[in-house]
Amino acid sequence: MRRNSGRNKIFREIIFHVLIIVGAIIVIFPTIYMFSASFMSLDQIFSTPIHIFPLKLHFENYREVFVQFALHRYFLNSTFVVIVVLLFNIFFCPLVGYSLAKFRFPGRDFLFIFTLCTMMIPFNIIVIPLYLTIRTFGWINTYQGLVAPQIIIPFGIFLMRQFIQGIPNDYLDAARIDGCSEFRIFYQIILPLSTPAIVALSIVTFVGNWNSFLWPLIVLTSDAKQTLPIALAKFLSNYANEWHLLMTASVVASSPILLFFFLFNRGFIEGMTGLSGLKG
Amino acid sequence: MGNFSYQRKSLRGYSKREAIYGFIFALPAIIFFSTFYVFPILKTIQISLCKWDILGTPIFIGLENFERLLSLDEFYNSLLVSLYYAFGTTVPIWFIALGLAVLFNREFIFRWGYLVIFYLPVVIPLIVWCILWQILYHPTYGPLTLITRPLGFVDIPWLTSSKLAMPSIIILSIWKGTPFYMVIYLAGLISVPQEYVEAAQIDGANRLQTFWYIIIPLLKPIILYVVIISIINAFQVFDPFYVMTSGGPGSATRVVPLFIYQSAFHYLKMGIASAASIIFFLLMLSLSLVILKAFRSS
Repeated sequence: MRRNSGRNKIFREIIFHVLIIVGAIIVIFPTIYMFSASFMSLDQIFSTPIHIFPLKLHFENYREVFVQFALHRYFLNSTFVVIVVLLFNIFFCPLVGYSLAKFRFPGRDFLFIFTLCTMMIPFNIIVIPLYLTIRTFGWINTYQGLVAPQIIIPFGIFLMRQFIQGIPNDYLDAARIDGCSEFRIFYQIILPLSTPAIVALSIVTFVGNWNSFLWPLIVLTSDAKQTLPIALAKFLSNYANEWHLLMTASVVASSPILLFFFLFNRGFIEGMTGLSGLKG
Repeated sequence: MGNFSYQRKSLRGYSKREAIYGFIFALPAIIFFSTFYVFPILKTIQISLCKWDILGTPIFIGLENFERLLSLDEFYNSLLVSLYYAFGTTVPIWFIALGLAVLFNREFIFRWGYLVIFYLPVVIPLIVWCILWQILYHPTYGPLTLITRPLGFVDIPWLTSSKLAMPSIIILSIWKGTPFYMVIYLAGLISVPQEYVEAAQIDGANRLQTFWYIIIPLLKPIILYVVIISIINAFQVFDPFYVMTSGGPGSATRVVPLFIYQSAFHYLKMGIASAASIIFFLLMLSLSLVILKAFRSS
């Protein structure tokens, strides 16, 4: 037994690394193909045997996709929508979270439990009545209509409440003694102290809204207002065979997410799963 | 000083000032939830009792929509397709994600780099994956043929055969969903106190026994969370069915969310769609309760 344990250990290590590497290849292969096909010519993509890497880099795909698909328009639409939703959320979620964490008033616990319940309600269950609500406001095919149901994410309230509960009351009391107004306490003490939670909230909001599909599909009817995901779906049905452009458009659509993901990978993963302090 | 501290006052009473400010700060959420949750949910119930084509006025017909749905083969088919998809996706995910989390629960070189690679499917928009996998799945020019052709399979009709369409989307969904749950498991594994594991090993437990008798029981709350959240999420998936198969071939991939969407926005049957939403919600709710109960008793 003893004599073999050294060799066993090496054997185990090899198996372990083979498993991890094979897994990583399976996971990353589609992304690699997306990037390399975005530099291929259409002829090369539709040739047998199949090429994984471009023979010659066709950078003109990236010009073509803006000329032929008007991708910049949808890109700007998405950017605008995401920024507006983000601004609303990083103001309202901490505000409500602060109220639930540090104040007592009738109905507070009910509101908190209600928030938890809404997190469990699938979006596609309320999508029809939500559409009708927006319709009664006359907001179909407007950005108000698109943004309004997203200005407070229930998960954001939950996240902020949990975080703000950990802020010592002494800070707030000290400010009150100095005659600080309640609203000033919020934006001069609570907001700066909850930066880590606000970052996590921003990541969730950003990813969720950049990727969101069903709601913009229903609310926005005119092509000029569409967000990127809907535009991509439209390209797919209109230009099903122009794979090089579809892949280029996909790269462009993923690029902001990829950029932030590679910059803040740890914060990203922790924020999206609602965890913090993931070791390693 | 105590006059200023809200939390430390007598447990029961709160000052009027505290209640007023708390209420003012919570007001945005109260307005928001009433407008975009309470009102719409009540509205669904109302519309589910009506016949309405969105243009005219709703006509009250009682429970007729529910009766119609429950005798409609197309709706039953959608429920079955949704169940097939949800369990076909989540059951493998539970195990693969746990396995990967166990692999990642130790130090090794480039650990964080691997984790970033593994997390890529989660962050990139689902619509991008739908386009990409549609290309991967192409019977003649799709890169997947690099693997399938040497194995002797030629021109596999991944998305166009009614037998293979659903498994194809399930593979994509497992591939996309696993890393998300893997990280949740991983956080759970990291928080397992090392002393317990060491104590078990001193008592002579091997790796498998330690895992089964020490780690799994400690992980139970996380497993429950993953099981419920993954099922709820799987029942909501809409994009790949809309983009890649539009419910076909035939109705082989017409999941309930797509059925609801099409009833409402293609056929303008608001009543039927609302009734379907309610039935679907009750189904998911009872499923979650059953799972919760199963976990409590075991």
